[in-house]
Amino acid sequence: MIEKIHALWPEITLFAAACVVMVVGLSRNVQVRRLCVPVCFIALVAAGVLAWFTTPMSAAAMAHLPQYGKTLAAFVGALLLLLLVGTPDREYEDDVARGRAAFEPIRGTRGEFYAFYLFSITGLMLCAGADDLIWLFLALELTSLPTYIMVAISTGRNRSMEAGVKYFFLGALGAATFLFGFALIYGATGSTKYTAIAEALQAQYQAGPLNAIAVAGVVLAVLGIGFKIAAVPMHFYTADVYQGASAPVSAMLAFVPKAAGFFALLGLLSCVGWFRATEPNTSLPEPIHEVLWFMAVLTMTVGNVLAVMQNSVKRILAYSSIAHSGYMLVGLIAGPGLQKDSFTHNGLAAVLFYLLVYGVSNIGAFAVLACLERRGRDGQMEEADDIADLRGLCSRRPLLGWIMVISSLGLLGLPPLLGFWGKMPLFTAGVSSGDYLLVVILGLNSAIAAFYYLRLVGVTLLEAPDAPGRGVPVQPGPFPTRVLAGVASVAGIIMLSFIPLTNQAQRAGIYNRDPIIKRSAEPAQPAVPKPEV
Amino acid sequence: MTALFTATLAQGELPNVMSGVTLYHFLFTSAAMFVIGLIGFLTRRNLIIMFLCTELMFQAAGIALIAFSRFWMNHTGETFVIFVLTVAAAEAAMALALVVLLFRRKETLDSSAWREMKG
Amino acid sequence: MTPTMIPTLANTDIASYLLILILIGGAISFAVINLGASYLLGPRRQGQTKGITYESGMNPVGTARKRFNVRFYLIAMVFLVFDIEIIFLYPWAVTFSNVDHTMTDALTWLGRILFFILTTIVAYVYGMRKGVFKFD
Repeated sequence: MIEKIHALWPEITLFAAACVVMVVGLSRNVQVRRLCVPVCFIALVAAGVLAWFTTPMSAAAMAHLPQYGKTLAAFVGALLLLLLVGTPDREYEDDVARGRAAFEPIRGTRGEFYAFYLFSITGLMLCAGADDLIWLFLALELTSLPTYIMVAISTGRNRSMEAGVKYFFLGALGAATFLFGFALIYGATGSTKYTAIAEALQAQYQAGPLNAIAVAGVVLAVLGIGFKIAAVPMHFYTADVYQGASAPVSAMLAFVPKAAGFFALLGLLSCVGWFRATEPNTSLPEPIHEVLWFMAVLTMTVGNVLAVMQNSVKRILAYSSIAHSGYMLVGLIAGPGLQKDSFTHNGLAAVLFYLLVYGVSNIGAFAVLACLERRGRDGQMEEADDIADLRGLCSRRPLLGWIMVISSLGLLGLPPLLGFWGKMPLFTAGVSSGDYLLVVILGLNSAIAAFYYLRLVGVTLLEAPDAPGRGVPVQPGPFPTRVLAGVASVAGIIMLSFIPLTNQAQRAGIYNRDPIIKRSAEPAQPAVPKPEV
Repeated sequence: MTALFTATLAQGELPNVMSGVTLYHFLFTSAAMFVIGLIGFLTRRNLIIMFLCTELMFQAAGIALIAFSRFWMNHTGETFVIFVLTVAAAEAAMALALVVLLFRRKETLDSSAWREMKG
Repeated sequence: MTPTMIPTLANTDIASYLLILILIGGAISFAVINLGASYLLGPRRQGQTKGITYESGMNPVGTARKRFNVRFYLIAMVFLVFDIEIIFLYPWAVTFSNVDHTMTDALTWLGRILFFILTTIVAYVYGMRKGVFKFD
C-alpha cells in the first residue's frame, strides 16, 4: 500500500504549497501577501520535475499516461499561472495600497484564489494517475469544485457571480450523472479498480454482448464527464461562463477541466476496450461507440456553427473550445489502432498530443484579452471582449496584435504551426480506423473554424484602428506577466513543432492490448445470465 | 463468479422481513430518485430546490452503491459512499455560499432573475 | 473474483452489543449526575432574565424572518469540516484494531490518519487567520 505514496510526490508538493498559500494570502503584511504567486510558481515547477522523474508506470492499460499527463498539467499550469497574476482582489488591493481601506483577512480572496488554483491542478494530476473509480471521482471533483469559486470571485461584477452559479449548478448535475454511471459500472463488474473492471468487462464481452447495466453505466459516465470537456449535451454553460469569468480564469477553464475530462475518458474507455469483434476495424462496443460518435459530431458542429455567429471574442473562444473537444473525441473513437509503435495510427496518442497543443495555443488568445482593458461606466476596469476592441491591434500594439494573430492561426491549425501537427494525427488515426464519414465531418468543421479564426486575424491585422472618439479605446493593463504568458504561448506555437514531443505523446498513448488477446485464445466463458425484470 | 442479477440480495442471511427484497427493488428506488432529481433540476427555478435535486441524484447513486456493495459482498461500494458524502457536504457548503452571495445582491432566489449574458 | 465474506446480522454475537449498552448507560448517568448536582448545589434565583427560554442565548421573541449574521454561516462551515472528518475517523478506528501492530504497516496506517488530521488543522488555522472565531 505504501507504494501509492511514491506515485504521488507531485500532488503532495502542490497540496503542501496550496496549504501554505492559503495562510500566507491572509497576512496583514502586503509583502508577505505578494509571496503567493512565487510560491505557486515554484511549486508548479517542482511538481513538473517530480512528475517527469518520479512517476512510476501505472498498472492500468495505459501505463505511461500518468507521467505524461502530470507533466503536461504542471507545464501548462505554470503558463496559466503567469496569466492569472493580478486577477483576485484587484480593486480591494488598490484601495488598501492607497489607504482608502484597511486590510481585513475576511475580505481578501487572494490566498484562496491561488490555493484553489493549485488544488485544481492537483486534481488534474490525480485524474491522470487514477487507477480506481473512487479515486477518479474524487480527482474530478477536486479539479472542478475550486474552479466554481474561482469563476465567481474572478471579477467583482454580478456577471461573474452569475457565471459561477451557473457553472456550479450544471457542474453538480454533471457530477451526479457520472457518479451514477460509476455506481452502475461497479454494480456490473463488482470492483472499482480499472484492471478488475477491464477484466470483468472483457470476460463479459467475450461471452456475448455487454451487460445492460455496464453499458448504461459507461454511457452515463461519458455523458457526465462530457460536462467537464464541454461536449454537446452538457455544453450549455460554456459560453456564458467563459464570458462572465475574467479572461485568465476562462483560459484556465478551457484547459484544466477539459484535460481532466479527457484523462478520465481515456481511463474509463481503456477499461471497456477498443476491440469490437470486426477486426482489423477495432472499435468500442456497439452502444458506447454510437453515443460517442454522435457526441463528437454534434460537439464539433454545434461549437463551430455557433462560434461563427458571435461578436464577443470570449464567446468565440468558448464555442471554439467546444469544437476542439469534438475534434479530440474523434481520436477517442478511433482508438489505439493495431500498430503499437505508430503515432499516426494511434488516436489516443493524438488526443494526448492535442491536449498539449490546445493548452499552449489557447493561452495566447486569452492573454491578449486579459492584457487589454478599459474603465467601464461603473468605474471598474473591464476587459476587452467585443471583437471591435481588437480592431487594428497590430498597428496600435504590435506585440499584443501579433500574439493574437499567431495564436488564432495556431488554433486554426495552419501548417507550419503547432496546431497543424496536433490536428494531423487526429485525421490519420480516423482514417486508419476506417471511419471515413467522421473524418469528412472533421475536415468540414475545420473549414468552418477557418471563418471565425480568420475573422479574428483579419480584424487584428488588416483593419484600421477606430478613429478617436468612438467609445473608450482599450489600453494595455498593468500586468507584464500576462504579456509574458502570451509571448510564451506564441513561442510554444512556433517552437514546439520542432521538438519531437510527439514521441512522448506516442509513448503515453500506448494501450496495452495483451490481456485481451490472451483471453480470446482461451475457450469462451459461460454466458452471463441476462437480467430478468 | 456469482450468478449476476439472479440471486436475491438477502441470500438467507438477513432477517425474514427482508427476504422478499431483491437487488431490483434497490436499483428501482435509486433510478427513480435519480430521475426525480433530474426532472426537478430541469423544471424548478428556485436555486435551493435545484440544489436539493442534485443532492437527490447524488444520494440515488449512494443507494445503488450500497445495494451493489451488498450484492457483491465487498466493502468497495460502502467506501465509495463515504467519499460521496464528503463531496456532497463540500458541494453543499459551496452552494449555500453562492446562494447567500446571490441573495445579498438581488434579494431573490429565482434563477431566471439572473440573465445578464445572452448570445 | 471470489467475494470476501463479511459478518452478517444473523451471526453477530449479541454480547458484542454490551459495550454499546455500557456507553448508553454512561451517557444517561452523565446527564442525570450533572442535572442532579446542579439541582443540589446550585443557587436558585427567580426573575425575568432567568425565566426566558434560552438563558444568555438568543432572544426568543421577534420576527422569524430576521436576517442572521453571516458569521453563523462561517461557524457552520467550520463545524462541517470537523463533522465530515468524523466520517473518516470512525471506519479508520474500527479497522485499525485489526492491523497487526508488530508490522511496519501499522505505522503507515497511523501516519495516514495523522496526515489526514493535519489537513484539518490547516483548515482550522486558515479559519482562525480569516477571523472566523472572532466575535465582536
